[in-house]
Amino acid sequence: MKNLLKSKPQIGFILPGFLIYTIFAIIPIFSAMYYSFFEWPGIGEKTFVGLDNFITLFTDETVAPIFYNALFNNLKYILCIWFVITPVQFILAYILFIKIRGAQYFKLMLFLPYVISSTIIGFFTTLIFDPNIGSLNAVIESMGGTRGLWLGDPNMAFKILILVVLWQGIGTGMMIFYSDMQGIPNSLIEASEMDGANEWVKLTKIIFPMSISSFTTNMVMSTIWALAVFDLPFLLGGVTGGADKSLDFVNIMFYRYTFGTALNGKSNMGFGAAISVVMFLIIAVITLVLTQLLKKLEKN
Amino acid sequence: MKKKQDTLLRNALSLLLLLFTSITLILLVNTFMNSFKSSSELARNTFGFPSTITLQNYITVITEDNFFKYLFNSLFITLVGVFFLLLLSAMVAYGISRYEFKRKEVVSTYFLIGMMFPVQLCVMPLFVILRNMQLLNTMTGVILLYIAGMSFPVFTLTKFFRNIPASIEESARLDGASEFRIFFSIIIPICKPVLATLGLINGIRIWNDFYIPMVFLSDSNKRTLMLSVYKYMSDFVRNWDLTFAAVVLTLIPILILYFLCSSQIVEGITDGTVKE
Repeated sequence: MKNLLKSKPQIGFILPGFLIYTIFAIIPIFSAMYYSFFEWPGIGEKTFVGLDNFITLFTDETVAPIFYNALFNNLKYILCIWFVITPVQFILAYILFIKIRGAQYFKLMLFLPYVISSTIIGFFTTLIFDPNIGSLNAVIESMGGTRGLWLGDPNMAFKILILVVLWQGIGTGMMIFYSDMQGIPNSLIEASEMDGANEWVKLTKIIFPMSISSFTTNMVMSTIWALAVFDLPFLLGGVTGGADKSLDFVNIMFYRYTFGTALNGKSNMGFGAAISVVMFLIIAVITLVLTQLLKKLEKN
Repeated sequence: MKKKQDTLLRNALSLLLLLFTSITLILLVNTFMNSFKSSSELARNTFGFPSTITLQNYITVITEDNFFKYLFNSLFITLVGVFFLLLLSAMVAYGISRYEFKRKEVVSTYFLIGMMFPVQLCVMPLFVILRNMQLLNTMTGVILLYIAGMSFPVFTLTKFFRNIPASIEESARLDGASEFRIFFSIIIPICKPVLATLGLINGIRIWNDFYIPMVFLSDSNKRTLMLSVYKYMSDFVRNWDLTFAAVVLTLIPILILYFLCSSQIVEGITDGTVKE
């Protein structure tokens, strides 16, 4: 052992981390695949059921609609991130980059919600948007308007969630864009100014093309997180997925079915594992497509 | 003419951002003020200054509930978790970046896989693994899960180590220092700034985490601060005076840290991005 460490010291450095990482980050991925072929209440005998868990998930009369609804919400959430949140992050980064008055202060404040726990973010959201105790209704009422249902309204709940995510999650992506913009050589920008380019031309012809790799990073990472989203919708809508299941996401459904008894009144870990496996596949496909797409864009 | 328009637009943007960022400010300040109101006053007045300031909410949260226990649990999990996360990640990154060996690329890619599969999707097998190791409901179990989230730190540190000139170790090696000695007494001191930023962002992530403690620490003795805030929240109508005080107590350390180290925190995030 001692000799091995002498001749191959990298083993001594890598092994401890490797073991913990393998046991708690890699093995779970494969054992989820394994468990997904079994019916298993969590203790006792596992029964091999082949693809039954997957078939239930996609075709069962009661389960499938819940799954499709949750999956649809995840996809809607991803689209909101791609087409609303990411562009806003980019634009804000640009606004900070051109150093408007107060840029330093705005940077500090825009990034601040990032360090606040989602538990507390959820609390703030409830304080404003709760139909009974929320201050939004109090304000509306005092101005003579009619109270809204807000978080209790299936048509509003999702929009409120996106609004909150926009507020809380804007900082990271924004700072990634911003730090990339600062890396753009000054000469490039100055040259375009000499040519008489205005802000818009600068933004679209220089800054945007130079930011594609940040777009890749931001969009790929936020897509993965979006597919695993749990905290905020859970805190706002509860374990049942909110009003009319408008805040039900796959991960919340997964939680209900794995640790609760939502399926046939008994908990089935194998079924929960099947949900995880489907999500792994979706993550793999989406990130692959997205990186290829953005790579192409970068080449052009 | 054109310049004037530009300035106007810039000022309009400033104003817009000023309004947008005031939301955060108002929320924080109002929560702070509410935490000093009695529950009867809160029923009438949820917005603005308290008419009489009471410390009762804080006293109740701190003395009647196990606040210090939860604070200790959160601190313990965060500090121990971050310490081992950084130590093991730095060792892995050092091993990958400073030595030549077969299948090096495979090893380095292997450590990136974790980025693609969020831990939330793995909780079911993790539950079984921790149960088999008798680590369910233990802080050790939760800490191990956090340490396993080493993909980002390993990635960032590997990038960092690649830029340190090899001559630094060579001279120490000639003096007969062992590989581990070199790592701990020469390399670690050099990467203190990177370790600090990584420590900050991972510390904040662990401190704020809600999901893992909720699933794996159901025992009320092991509860973290975030879980205790959640407990207050879920019984909000009955406890709302206390909730504000608990939220303020949980927020203060993180806000102080933020205002002291915001630039390092931002650096930690932008450094860790995957660029091709």
